[in-house]
Amino acid sequence: MSDIRLPRRRFPLITAVLATASVAVAGCGSSDSSSDAVPNGGGDDAAASGLEAVYEDAPVADDAAILPDSTMAEIKERGVLRVAAALDAPLLSQQDPSSPEDVEGFDIDLAKMLAIYILGEPNIEIVPPASETREALLQNGTVDAVFNTYTITEERAEQIDFAGPYFTSGLAVATRADNEDIDSVEDLNGKDVIVGANTPAVTAVPEVAPDAEVTSFATDPQAVQALLQGRGDAYVQDYTLLLAAAANNPDIKIAVQPFTEEPYGIGLPPEDAEYKEFVNDWLEQIQEDGSWSEIWEATLGTVVEGDAPTPPEIGSVPGS
Amino acid sequence: MTAVIENLDPLLRALGTTVLILVISAAGSLVLGVLITVARVSPIPVLRGAAWAYVQVFVNVPLLALLLLAVFALPDAGLLMPLTTTVIVVLTVYEAAYVAEAVRSGINTVASGQVEAARALGLRLSQTLRHVVVPQAVRAVVQPLGNVMIALLMNTALAATVGVVELTSAVNKVNLVAAQPIPIFTAAGLTYMALALAIGLAAGRIEKKVAIHR
Repeated sequence: MSDIRLPRRRFPLITAVLATASVAVAGCGSSDSSSDAVPNGGGDDAAASGLEAVYEDAPVADDAAILPDSTMAEIKERGVLRVAAALDAPLLSQQDPSSPEDVEGFDIDLAKMLAIYILGEPNIEIVPPASETREALLQNGTVDAVFNTYTITEERAEQIDFAGPYFTSGLAVATRADNEDIDSVEDLNGKDVIVGANTPAVTAVPEVAPDAEVTSFATDPQAVQALLQGRGDAYVQDYTLLLAAAANNPDIKIAVQPFTEEPYGIGLPPEDAEYKEFVNDWLEQIQEDGSWSEIWEATLGTVVEGDAPTPPEIGSVPGS
Repeated sequence: MTAVIENLDPLLRALGTTVLILVISAAGSLVLGVLITVARVSPIPVLRGAAWAYVQVFVNVPLLALLLLAVFALPDAGLLMPLTTTVIVVLTVYEAAYVAEAVRSGINTVASGQVEAARALGLRLSQTLRHVVVPQAVRAVVQPLGNVMIALLMNTALAATVGVVELTSAVNKVNLVAAQPIPIFTAAGLTYMALALAIGLAAGRIEKKVAIHR
């Protein structure tokens, strides 16, 4: 298994000082219209430069919260947070093909926030891909946390612990743009349906449409390609992933809005209540200070219309 | 382990698909492989060149790349085959290159004096190959061919990446619900091992049976 080590990123104070100075100059020299523009301009810069401002203001745990001999203390000692995350999930956890050290998206940005909370800097080590063996990776201590659109289920909660849920999404249906046959999930009966291997759709589709012929493909780009080539009539996948696919490809449309609720949790090693509580505390803090919403807007928000949703209540799902 | 027992029915059906892919591709690649070797040792330069190029291409391109090309690039060229058929075709042409190499090493064990004797007796080239060279060559490489077939069995697992519901794909599905990767994948591994052992033992038996006692 190959690990990808992200370089330490420093955001030197001097950049921040310069940025503040230039904003101040702009504010002084112009009329009231531009003073309105200043906060907006600042926000756009942060989004464009990969949420650096959010990282800058990210909460850091008090020394008291990092209990001695706990998992948190172990991570701090090591100086790096080991995370199981995908590298091929657009908007969630996507590796930049031209610079493999850059991995961006909602999941991975949250992972970096957790790293800052524990270590003071976004120092993470990604162990990909992990979807079949996430429980084993947590049980044997290969990773400290799983950020991997990991749906909280009671079966899984028997094996490992979940913090969160940190996000709620759902499965939706995409078709080719010229397909008029599918308006509801019942219409999937008797159709060829493409799903992603090891996604909740594998089990959800037979539940809502027992007569659908299900074919699973290993990755999202493969599934999209298969849909375009006519290997199936519909593609059932997480709503945000489908939105990203439809945004990139005019031949695909969303035919059915989300029909399930998938609460995503942060997978944690089993039987470690202190650590779980610590991660839940952190999640609550970033939800309250607005950085959760800012990360959502910079990633998933680029394809979903409207404001950031209200984050789900922590511990609100069986298994969390 | 209960997860495996509860899902025995779909798992057995998936195992059936694995065996189906294995048997058809094995038969196809053995026939195709021998034909390629015959072309490779034939005196016709075009055939020799084509067979050489075929072996080089399929031995040196990863199977996964071939599978993805066949599944996702061929439809763009206007050829849309069912997934299982595509996988069987790809495995057949891929393993045929390895079969060809194994059989070629067998041909090298047939003394050139035998070919000369056959020609002197008036056998045509095709008769020489059919009655003298190939039967002896294949007998000499039964065990290596068995190993190629075991590799073929292992390679069927790659069909899971392109949507064929064979054993690997089915255990992935079971694990998705049961979240018990270690017992589930161990069970799958043991099943593959049992199949591979069966192929290996069968090859050993066949080798003894067809051995030439000189």
